[in-house]
Amino acid sequence: MTILALTINGREHGPREVRDDLTMNDFLREYLGMTGTKFGCGAAQCLSCAVIVDNADGTSYTSPTCIVPARSFDGKAIRTVEGHASNGELTALQKAFINHFAFQCGYCTAGFLNEAQVLLERLARKPVARAELEQTIAEALDGHICRCTGYIKYHEAVRDVVLADPQRYLA
Amino acid sequence: MKSETRFQIFASVAALTLSGLTGYAASQPVSNTLASPDSFASIADTDARSAAIFTELGKVLTNPRCVNCHPAGDRPRQTDQSRLHQPPVARGVDGHGTETMRCSICHGDANFDPGRMPGHPEWHLAPREMAWEGKTLAEICAQIKDPARNGGRKVEDLIHHIGTDTLVGWAWKPGFGRSPAPGTQQQAGALVDAWVKTGAACPAG
Repeated sequence: MTILALTINGREHGPREVRDDLTMNDFLREYLGMTGTKFGCGAAQCLSCAVIVDNADGTSYTSPTCIVPARSFDGKAIRTVEGHASNGELTALQKAFINHFAFQCGYCTAGFLNEAQVLLERLARKPVARAELEQTIAEALDGHICRCTGYIKYHEAVRDVVLADPQRYLA
Repeated sequence: MKSETRFQIFASVAALTLSGLTGYAASQPVSNTLASPDSFASIADTDARSAAIFTELGKVLTNPRCVNCHPAGDRPRQTDQSRLHQPPVARGVDGHGTETMRCSICHGDANFDPGRMPGHPEWHLAPREMAWEGKTLAEICAQIKDPARNGGRKVEDLIHHIGTDTLVGWAWKPGFGRSPAPGTQQQAGALVDAWVKTGAACPAG
């Protein structure tokens, strides 16, 4: 058993005792009831389970949760799909996903949303040239599997958000 | 359906199943052991003995547990079948992944069998110049002796690297669903030691 304490969507959770063999995905879904984070392939190959991990220096990255022990998140701050909207107001990215009809079944959406959000924040820190944008988006979303084949729509949605605020995201 | 017909179908299915199982067994590695250096004592010619010892060590070096992280490209491989790593990852500048996809995001300090995840505190790819994938054992041998392509090591350093390094040692404790490298790390280290002491000769071809 391990003592786990972490911050999720700005709210502290724990400390609480968890099994060493408990995955982060089970911790979120079964212990906390946060079912927005999906369990897909169970092998980190579809990334529908990805959450955002925030570093102390202001940078972030996504991490799968299905194959990673919950205890490895001790002391960390993460964001899940439940943490994007504020007071019921969707983010520009969430609205773009809807406007582009990017998802159908929606199972992969949380992973794509988190990945795209990390990309936007990275671009805000390190803007890229317009000519590099398409490849940058493609590389960022690479690895996320959508069985409804919404890849192009996700890509276009992210592009729209970037192009709507070029001074923020483009060099 | 007549009972005779049912029996014929049953017998055919049983024969096919048995045939399949036999084929499966035949496709499995014959041996997962390593011969000791002493096994090569009867080879009088020192160079030939040294090359034979390296060939035995080659069972380890060409094993998926090793080659998967000594890939020819920038993307590691995984599983006993050496499939391309999924999700797509790349070595990055330091071999520990790209800025946004570090190896350590998924690979923890130790194997996490509930998630089928291999792990080690220093999980990373071997440098590009140490790629073994697709190479013959002779090519790997020449490469492993070349300081420019072996991390600046003398051949003597390889005894420790292969024999005691804990990341290399993971190959013998790879966790659920992955076959370990042949023999033991200690046996592999003994082979390297014997190979070095016999002149570190390489096999032909």
